[in-house]
Amino acid sequence: MTQRPYRRLWALLCLLPTGLLLGGLFAAPLLWSLAGSFGLDSGLSGFTWAHYAQIFSRPTLRLGLWTSIYYGVAPVVITLVLAIGLALLLRHPFRGKAWFNGLYKIPMAVPGIIAALVVMTLAERGGFLDRLAAPLGLTLPRLIRDPWGVGVILTTVWKQLPFMTLVITGAFAAIPQEVSQAARSLGASRWRTLLWIELPLALPGISAAVLLTFIGTMGSFAIPDIVGPATPRPLAVHMFAEFGNGNLPLVYAIGMLLSAVAVIVLLAYDRLSERATSGLAGAGNQHD
Amino acid sequence: MTNHPTPTPARRRFEPEDRIWVSVGLFAALALTLGLPLLLIVLWSVSDRWAAPNLLPESYTLGTWMTVLSDDGVLTAAATSTGIALLVTLLTALVAMPTAWALAKFPLPYKRSIELFVLAPVIVPGIVVAIGVGQVFQMLGLAYTVTGVVLVQMVGTLPLMIRLLVASFDTLPDEMIHAARSLGASSLQAFRYVALPLCVPGLLAGSLLSFVGSFEEFDKTFLVGAPVIQTLPVLLYHHLDPYSLQFPLASVVALILLVPVLLVFVLSGRIMRDDLMASGMGKV
Repeated sequence: MTQRPYRRLWALLCLLPTGLLLGGLFAAPLLWSLAGSFGLDSGLSGFTWAHYAQIFSRPTLRLGLWTSIYYGVAPVVITLVLAIGLALLLRHPFRGKAWFNGLYKIPMAVPGIIAALVVMTLAERGGFLDRLAAPLGLTLPRLIRDPWGVGVILTTVWKQLPFMTLVITGAFAAIPQEVSQAARSLGASRWRTLLWIELPLALPGISAAVLLTFIGTMGSFAIPDIVGPATPRPLAVHMFAEFGNGNLPLVYAIGMLLSAVAVIVLLAYDRLSERATSGLAGAGNQHD
Repeated sequence: MTNHPTPTPARRRFEPEDRIWVSVGLFAALALTLGLPLLLIVLWSVSDRWAAPNLLPESYTLGTWMTVLSDDGVLTAAATSTGIALLVTLLTALVAMPTAWALAKFPLPYKRSIELFVLAPVIVPGIVVAIGVGQVFQMLGLAYTVTGVVLVQMVGTLPLMIRLLVASFDTLPDEMIHAARSLGASSLQAFRYVALPLCVPGLLAGSLLSFVGSFEEFDKTFLVGAPVIQTLPVLLYHHLDPYSLQFPLASVVALILLVPVLLVFVLSGRIMRDDLMASGMGKV
C-alpha cells in the first residue's frame, strides 16, 4: 500500500467506535469514581483523603481488605498446585485422553453463580457429602458460609482449575523437547529436570495465569456473597452493601483501591516478564 | 498403538502406554467433581421430597419444571437474556472489527498504549466498572434499560473480541491485500472480499465467547439493570438467597441457564484451538 496523507485519518476513524465506547463507558466512569473518591465531585475545595482513611481505620473494612487478599491468594495457590499436577499428567497419552481433554474444561463455561450452586449441593449442611458421611458416624464441619471461607475457596478452585490447567499445559508444550532431553541425558532425574528446567521455562505462562486468576477472584462479588460468611466479607461485597446505603464516596474509594491493586499487580508482572524474556534471550550468548 | 501387528482381538489387553491407572484416576476425579454435582442438580430439579438422610430423592415430580415453565418471570428472563446476548454479540463484532483491523495493519503511534487501553477493562473488577457506569447512566436516563445493560456488557466483551480479531488479522499476509489493491480493489473492497472471509474463524470464536459472556454476565447486569431488567443470572441470584433457598427451584433455573451455555461451549470447543480458548476464557 502506498503512503497517503489521509491514511492516519483512516486509522483514527477505525479506532473511533471503540474509543468512544470504552472512553465513555470505562475511562470516564473510572475517572469520575476517582474524583468522587477524593470528594472532588462537588468541586476542588472538597478534596479529602477521608474516604480512603476510612477503609484502613474502620475495623470491618480493614478486615475486608485482608479478606479480599485472602480470597485472591488462597484459591490461586491451591489451583496452581492442582493445575501443575494435572498438566503434568496430561503431557503424556493415556486411555481416553481426548474425552478427558474435552470434558475437564466444562467449568470454564459454567457461570460463577452456578458454580456456587454446584458446591452448595455437595457441601451444604445436610448436603450430599454430609449424607454420605453420616452412616460412617462422621459429621463434616461447616463448609458453606463458614468463617474461613472454605465454600468460597472450593467454588473458586472448581471454576478456575480448567483455565489454569489449559494455560500451564500450553506453557509446558511450548518448551522445546530437546531442552528436557538434554537435561535427562546429562544425568538429571525426572524431578530435577522438572524443578530446574521445565518449571522455570514455563514460568512466564504460569505467572500470567496466576495473576489473571488472582485479580479476577479478588474483585469477584457473586461467589463470596452467595457461599461466603456474613463476616468477614471481602471488599467487593462491602462495596455493594455501601452502595445500597448510598455512601457513594466510600464506594468509589473501595473501587479505586481494588482497581489499583489489580493495575499494580499487572504492571509488576509486565516488568518482570519483560526482564525474564530479555534475560532468556540474552542467556544464549553470555555467561555471568 | 498406531501399527498394531495383529488384528484387534475381541478383548484387547491394556498396554503400558495406556497408563490405565492415570486414566482411571482422572476420570474418577472428573466424575466426582463434575459429573456428581451436575447429576445432583438434575435430581434436585425433579425431586419432590428429598429429606436429610436419603442419598436419593424419595419421590420425583416434574412439578417444579411445570411451575417454572408456566411462570412468565423465567420465560421473560430467558428471552431477555437471549435478546441481550445476541445484541451484545452483534454490536461487539461491529465495533471491534475496524479497531482490530487498524491495530493489526496500520503503523499507529502509541500502539502499545492503545492496546493496553483496550485490554484494561479485563483487569478492573466488573463491579467497579458497573458502579461508575451506573452513575453515568442515571444522568443519561439509561439505567434500568436494555440499552444500558447491552452497553455495559460490551465493556467486558469488546476487549476479548478485539484480541481474537487482531490475532486473526495478524496472520493474514499483507501481500494478499497488496495483490487485491494492485488488481484494482479499493481499500474497502480488499477488506470485504479478502480480509473478512479469512478472519471468519476468529470472528466466530469471538462471537461465541461474547454470546456466552453476555448470557451469563451477572455483576454488571445486576448493578445497571436490576430490578427492572431480569436476566437469567439475576433471577438465579435471587433464588440462591440463603434465607429463602429452595434447591428444586434454583436447580431448574440453573439448568435453563446452563444448557444453552454448555451447547455453545461444546460447539466452540469443536472449532476453537486451545490457546484461543485460553485467551478468551481468561476472565473470571
